[in-house]
Amino acid sequence: MELELVRQRVFEEKPGFPRQYGPDRTDRQPGQPFWPHEVYRDLVLILLMVAILFLLSAAITPPVGPAKDPTIQPFIVPDWYLLFSWGLLKVAEIFPTGVIPDPLGNGLLGPVSVDTGFWGDILTSLPVIPLFLLPLLDRGREERPAKAPLRSALGLYLIAWIFSSSLYAINNLVIEKWPFIGGDDTLKWFFVIPPLYVGIASYVGLRRLGYREMYWWRVIPIGVALWLFSVQALDTFVLQPLDAGRSLGAHAATLALPQIQGLAFIVLMLFAVMVVTFYAVTFLDERRARALLKPFFVVWIVLFLLVGKFIESTQPASFDFILHQTIPSMHLLYGAPIFVLITAYVGLREPYSAYEYLLNECYQCGKCHTACPVTKVEDDALGGLNLVYNTFKKQHDGVPLWTCLACDACSAVCPLDIKYSDYILEERAKALAVGPPSGRAS
Amino acid sequence: MIDPLYGPARAIPHPVLFRLLDAEADSTAVPEIKVEQASEFAYYPGCIDYYDQEMQFSHLNYGETNHGIIFDSTVKLLKAVGIEPMILDRSFMKCCGHDQLWQGKVDVFQKMREYNTRVIRMLKVKTLIVSCAEGYRTFKLDYQLEGITVKHITQVLYERGLRVPPSKEGKKIRVAYQDPCRSCRQMPVDPIYDEPRDLVQRVDNAELVELKTFRADAQCCGVAQMMYCNDKTKGITDLRMKEAAELDVDYLLTACPKCLTHFGCMHHENAWKPGGERYKFRVLDITHFLAERLDGSEIGKAPTILPAERDPRLKAGGG
Repeated sequence: MELELVRQRVFEEKPGFPRQYGPDRTDRQPGQPFWPHEVYRDLVLILLMVAILFLLSAAITPPVGPAKDPTIQPFIVPDWYLLFSWGLLKVAEIFPTGVIPDPLGNGLLGPVSVDTGFWGDILTSLPVIPLFLLPLLDRGREERPAKAPLRSALGLYLIAWIFSSSLYAINNLVIEKWPFIGGDDTLKWFFVIPPLYVGIASYVGLRRLGYREMYWWRVIPIGVALWLFSVQALDTFVLQPLDAGRSLGAHAATLALPQIQGLAFIVLMLFAVMVVTFYAVTFLDERRARALLKPFFVVWIVLFLLVGKFIESTQPASFDFILHQTIPSMHLLYGAPIFVLITAYVGLREPYSAYEYLLNECYQCGKCHTACPVTKVEDDALGGLNLVYNTFKKQHDGVPLWTCLACDACSAVCPLDIKYSDYILEERAKALAVGPPSGRAS
Repeated sequence: MIDPLYGPARAIPHPVLFRLLDAEADSTAVPEIKVEQASEFAYYPGCIDYYDQEMQFSHLNYGETNHGIIFDSTVKLLKAVGIEPMILDRSFMKCCGHDQLWQGKVDVFQKMREYNTRVIRMLKVKTLIVSCAEGYRTFKLDYQLEGITVKHITQVLYERGLRVPPSKEGKKIRVAYQDPCRSCRQMPVDPIYDEPRDLVQRVDNAELVELKTFRADAQCCGVAQMMYCNDKTKGITDLRMKEAAELDVDYLLTACPKCLTHFGCMHHENAWKPGGERYKFRVLDITHFLAERLDGSEIGKAPTILPAERDPRLKAGGG
């Protein structure tokens, strides 16, 4: 029996839990609100801090040594934690520059020069804006990533982005070390695409952990990735070689057959993993998709590495040709299959107990144990253990599965409304599950 | 093997009954249903006749606990408030599936639900009245019957203003009400707390007393979904019965046939203990209690037959 089915049949709301989460939660909002209770005190502290800083900077002149000779260190790199900002300043050159003579149209504002520095300023301030807006936009109280998937995925996206931005900050070092990367454009794409992969894949995975509706969240990202990959592959493997052949003219024959064969084999392998995954998540039900994709992924990864190694060792020229053709667009040609692999894996992961996820909320107040009638008579449950918490931790059965009365006395006293009886029901249904595999649900 | 010290109740295997009910769920053909008097109200008595048989014929307590009377009382009370319901008899309805669901047999529950929903829709029921807490929860929450109102009998009587005539018995009676888990804290919508208490207070000589735990905190009667009957569950039942005994109540009421079964069983078993004493109070379903007072006469007589007269082993001086 699929757990989705159990929940749909048993609880009045579907999908998900019959529980309120997030800012609209009306059942209880304990504590004091931030506004305005905390704001005045914080303002005073902040102003005091600023005053001290002003005083210090006015009274004490920091010791500054002589200026550095620019000829000594030709390659200036900031500290590692500022590399992302450095990368942003570097990437500013892709934006158009010029001078706007009269931006407001009434002569009040003089000519504004939109140069690389201007774009650099804008880009550097961009990452700070979400940090300011986050507490105003996201009013949720939940802290666990699985309960706040959007916020958590955004955070992971930004971390990935800081890495790729830092990578771009040292672009000339990178190209020096790995010359086959070729050009700057490859790294520029890295600025945009891989952080998106990280953000979307982690959002899908966190949705899964949070037991939300999944179907379209698997199909759409994988479908879009397949589509982008196909366009890119068509461009790289058909249009570009055709172009090259046309410009080479009589020299077209220099593109030797083994090289083309190797390239075609690699692209077919990459394409195959995308297509099979897309087929599985779109047309198969969850259980079958899982059964198909798990072995397929393992076999595919091993095969891909072996084939790569084989080509590299037997036909070095062919290998170089493949790298030369694929590396400039590796953000799609290699990134998309990796993204699809990870997204399908985290999006199809076998759900463990839905209620394990809910029992996780417990903060061990022990009220349930006091309320439980079974603990008063059942030897196994005696001993002052915490019912919900110990069940979650699998340290102790709490109330043994088949002995629980499902009387919900524990939920009635639970400060967090953890429905222990729902967990019991699910566990029993799982223990007796004999039904046919479900449809495409969830 | 029957333990003579504690009576036969601890050796009763419930699985037989559930095998029967599970097997019943497999046949989905609806038999011919004759509707003598169509009504938008329907009363579903549920499995009380099964438990009645088990209690009556398994010499569990020699017929003291009467489940069949719940049906008679409910119909009588409904007529008193002007409702002539269709009886959704078990000759064409199946078990509501509560026990199967909570035992984890979700597939059996689904079959029962599909069948019962089909019949209920076919009969064009507008208001489904049940007299048990488990049926209330199951039909209201787990069946998802859109467009059909599911009501517990106490809600109907409360809304329609049941009037209980002045009592002929002079002395005051102390009445305690046991909140069944399924109709109180396990109902996120419309939990039944005030209706039965209000109905009890309409009996002029009844004084409502609350047990140590009541309303949402009320302790369970000891057995849910008829899964176990052992020393541990008996212990829980005993705790609950002692709460009532400490308050010196005359009646312990409940709205759930399962509670009635287990309280009744414990009530009887206490007499088997060496030196044990029978609880002084009567354990009744709330419909039975109200119906008794409806016309001043008792429709169910207080137990008059003592176990010693019924059980040959006791007569022989054994146990």
